[in-house]
Amino acid sequence: MRGRTFGAGLIAVGLGLAACSSGSSGGSASGGGTTTIKVAYQQFGEGKVMANFLTSVKTQFEAANPGKKIELLPIVASENDYYTKLALMLRSPRTTPDLVYEDTFLINSDIQAGYLKPLDDYLASWADWSQFAATAKGAAKGTDGKTYGVPDGTDTRGLWYNKAVFAKAGLPAEWQPKTWDDVLTAARAIKTKVPDAVPLNDYASKAAGEGTSMQGFEMLLYGTANQLYDASSQKWVVGSKGFLDSLNFIKTVYGEKLGPSPQDATDAALGNKVTQEWFPANKIGIALDGSWLPNTWQPTGAKPWPQWATALGQAAMPTQTGQAPGKVSLSGGWTWAIASKSPNADLAWKFIQALQTPANAAKYAVEGTQIAVRSDVAGDATYTTANAKTPVFTDVVSVTKYRPAYPEYPKISNQIQVAAESVMTGQETPEQAQKAYDDAVKGIVGNDKTTTQ
Amino acid sequence: MTDLNNRVGATPRQQPEQPVGAGRHTEPDRVRPLEHTPVTKGSTTRVRGRLAGAIVANGGVLLIAAVFIIPLLWVILASFNRTAGLTVSIPDHWTLDNFRAVLNTDTTYRPMANGVILCGGAAALTIACATLAGYALSRFKTKYKRPFLLTILFSTGLPITAIMVPVYGLFVQLNLIDTISGTMLFMAATGLPFAIWLMKNFMDSVPLTLEEAAWTDGASRMQTLWYIILPLMWPGISVVAIFTFVGMWGNFFVPFVLLLSPDQLPASVSIYTFFSQYGEVQFGQLASYSLIYSFPVVALFLFLSRKLGGAFAFGGAVKG
Amino acid sequence: MKQAAGRGAPLVPATVLLLVFLFGPILWSIYAAFTNTSLSGAGAAHSQFVGFANFTKAFTSNGFLNSVLLTLFFTLVSAVIGQNALGLSLALWMRRAVAPVRAFGGAVVIGAWVLPEVVAGYLWYAFLAKDGSLNAVLERVGLHPQDWLFSLPILAVSIANIWRGTAFSMLVYTAALSDIPQEIEEAAEVDGATGRQRLFHITLPMIRSSIMTNLMLITLQTLSVFGLIFTMTRGGPGTKSQTLPLYMYEQAFSFGDLGYGTAIAIMLLVVGSVFSLLYLRMLAPETT
Repeated sequence: MRGRTFGAGLIAVGLGLAACSSGSSGGSASGGGTTTIKVAYQQFGEGKVMANFLTSVKTQFEAANPGKKIELLPIVASENDYYTKLALMLRSPRTTPDLVYEDTFLINSDIQAGYLKPLDDYLASWADWSQFAATAKGAAKGTDGKTYGVPDGTDTRGLWYNKAVFAKAGLPAEWQPKTWDDVLTAARAIKTKVPDAVPLNDYASKAAGEGTSMQGFEMLLYGTANQLYDASSQKWVVGSKGFLDSLNFIKTVYGEKLGPSPQDATDAALGNKVTQEWFPANKIGIALDGSWLPNTWQPTGAKPWPQWATALGQAAMPTQTGQAPGKVSLSGGWTWAIASKSPNADLAWKFIQALQTPANAAKYAVEGTQIAVRSDVAGDATYTTANAKTPVFTDVVSVTKYRPAYPEYPKISNQIQVAAESVMTGQETPEQAQKAYDDAVKGIVGNDKTTTQ
Repeated sequence: MTDLNNRVGATPRQQPEQPVGAGRHTEPDRVRPLEHTPVTKGSTTRVRGRLAGAIVANGGVLLIAAVFIIPLLWVILASFNRTAGLTVSIPDHWTLDNFRAVLNTDTTYRPMANGVILCGGAAALTIACATLAGYALSRFKTKYKRPFLLTILFSTGLPITAIMVPVYGLFVQLNLIDTISGTMLFMAATGLPFAIWLMKNFMDSVPLTLEEAAWTDGASRMQTLWYIILPLMWPGISVVAIFTFVGMWGNFFVPFVLLLSPDQLPASVSIYTFFSQYGEVQFGQLASYSLIYSFPVVALFLFLSRKLGGAFAFGGAVKG
Repeated sequence: MKQAAGRGAPLVPATVLLLVFLFGPILWSIYAAFTNTSLSGAGAAHSQFVGFANFTKAFTSNGFLNSVLLTLFFTLVSAVIGQNALGLSLALWMRRAVAPVRAFGGAVVIGAWVLPEVVAGYLWYAFLAKDGSLNAVLERVGLHPQDWLFSLPILAVSIANIWRGTAFSMLVYTAALSDIPQEIEEAAEVDGATGRQRLFHITLPMIRSSIMTNLMLITLQTLSVFGLIFTMTRGGPGTKSQTLPLYMYEQAFSFGDLGYGTAIAIMLLVVGSVFSLLYLRMLAPETT
């Protein structure tokens, strides 16, 4: 889910506001009866979806609550740096934001670190909570059974392809690969016939962070017979054939130069390049990516591109050999959480409620191209119209899986990125990379918590 | 010690009169008498050898300069180029648009102002503390002097990068994290060992007689330092200021770890953020931002080195 | 007694700053290197003493050993060989070069030194990129262009560091050479010594202490280089240019393992201390 691209860069609206305040007041009351709460979120590149949404809710909120101020705190950082900065800020009362936007994969780790506040008391008296789907409610649940975050949407993953590039490569306009080999065959055709386009993007760098783990690697792994975590024995899987096969897929993509150039592949801004430059310019064939990509092409997005719905095709990611259920998807999502060191938790909660009024929730689901997690949003007319443009990504909800979002997951995810990049760059063979991954996992969770399945 | 001190301290002051490297070409009078010595055998070979040497020397310097200048040329040309790419090329359309695009509060003005406050404050603090400490170490004989000096020298070598993880922890404990003042104190401390060492050596080269005259007239030690020594010390202080400020202005890692709020970040960090977001797209803007960001140190360097009698004066302070 | 206190007073501000901000963190790091303190997860809430686990992990980890080798290469190639030799050559040539050449060369080389490291990182990123200036030049002379930051990353960052650091050595050597009495070299020349003989038997021995000092200082500076590599390659691709400071950063901040990152820091400090002590020994006889 880190692949989202709703940054707005340094020139963002929120920064100007931050400049007016002391910036180091820890978000506490600053005299005169004014209470300010700081809202931290990620920004990278030109995208403004989140910034615009938050600004509009901020205006509503401040008008409705005189004396209360919302300070938007865009953290200008690439996917990987965002979590580092967030953790650094959450550690100290001086720097803590009141409200943080957290990916569900990380939230258990931050819960365990004591950075977040349980929301159960607030949720108990919030009527809207009953609108949330059960999986969404569980997404931000700690191992202690308490809930720490309110999700604002979810997503699925699959293949986007450019129909113009496909036509040039002699590939069909309606395309649904059945196996990994089908995907590679199409990429090879593009490489031969459309030399100025990147045939296939599969994230495999450390810079792409969780995008590499989830879109780039786990979308492969979960289409094999293996997974990351064995739920029945409650152990992490090491030494699996599926893991090795997934690394070999990456090796094929980059070894045969079916992927982006090494310079682009290791660039932190690769995600923005794919959506803002390559797809609109017919410079890429296939991208293994997320359902949220169209938010870049909205009229309010970083690169308005009204033709996207007809110019691009969508296909489900097939399983390795087409084995049942034939396709694979992974889902993540982001949540709003309150920092445990926040001095204004009640007000922060009020702002979460403002973000999640049915109207605002629907607005964000549309602008951010989210898959709704609330039943009222799912029934909203603007949402259903917008959602109809991504039929394949809506359809794979039926097979989608979730990451094992245990507190150790972020560390394991880092090791997946290390393995993927070392194979992508040719520094290690898939076998060596898997061995390094296995050793690292044993170091992280302990030997007794791993299994060869 | 005296030998070292005199060498280290004296060189910069000599610069205005005798630029380093002036060598034979500018001092023919000192060379000529030797040429006229009776030992004529092989003197033509010597002249020929000297000519060859001069060709090699000039050629060598020019070659290295030519190689060194290409990256610099890129940043200058690209910043004025509307369609800048990664290759050095003369712009087809000269433009100031790249500068206009980055000259705004969030991208340039505030980070530059933060940088000036942060690095200027830290450098001033370093110089003040180093002057006081250098004075004490140069003028007083106490039993602490030698261990103190040795510790200072030892600290000049510690890789500051290595202690950033613990410093981050310390700053959280002391509640100094994300404060410009705290970061300033830390940067001042990291600049201190080298500054004290240089300052003491410069002080050693200022003769005692003037101070003794002042003391007999009833001046206190601090008055002597302020009115007698400091006016004589400006070349030394300039050298320390350059080393300290240039090091701090370019320092990316320390503020990157210790400052978190976007509105507190100095230019060294904001240019990194700019690069990672737009660097591979907006080459022209990145180049113009690089020039703007480099301007203060280049200007300070040119200003002080002119006053010192040439850029080469700076080497004398550290040659050991 | 009172006078002794008065004499120590000017040392107080510097001493306080150094104790709190330099030696404080060093002591803290010695403690933290033996814990599992981390940025997120359990280690963030309650860190535990883990003995030598972080050090054992380092010495059995390929990543750490890789970084040690890269750091050695980077220091040797960029500082000990590159900056040192180029700086000395420039200083020697500058003495014989005509004034305009000297001024031009000095301005360019020193310009590279004065520029902030992040800017230096970009310039070299642009210079070595796939469609950068170097490849444009190579193509013109008929050589095969390549993606230098990808194919030879550690060499690429080493060359960038030579570019950035040569001025320092040049300045040190220029100053040292200016102290050699001209009569000595001239006398040798009169005696028929060749340029090479004069260099190795007279000039270099006379600036021996400056050479040692310079080597020590640039070694220490190079061990700490972070920003330059971080902006050029972030230590990659993979870990092919991940020197110790970058490895430490990745472990401590990107992967959140503060305890392990601190253990790496301690080892970096120890290496730095060894060089620092050597440096000290060379200057110490003069420090009476």
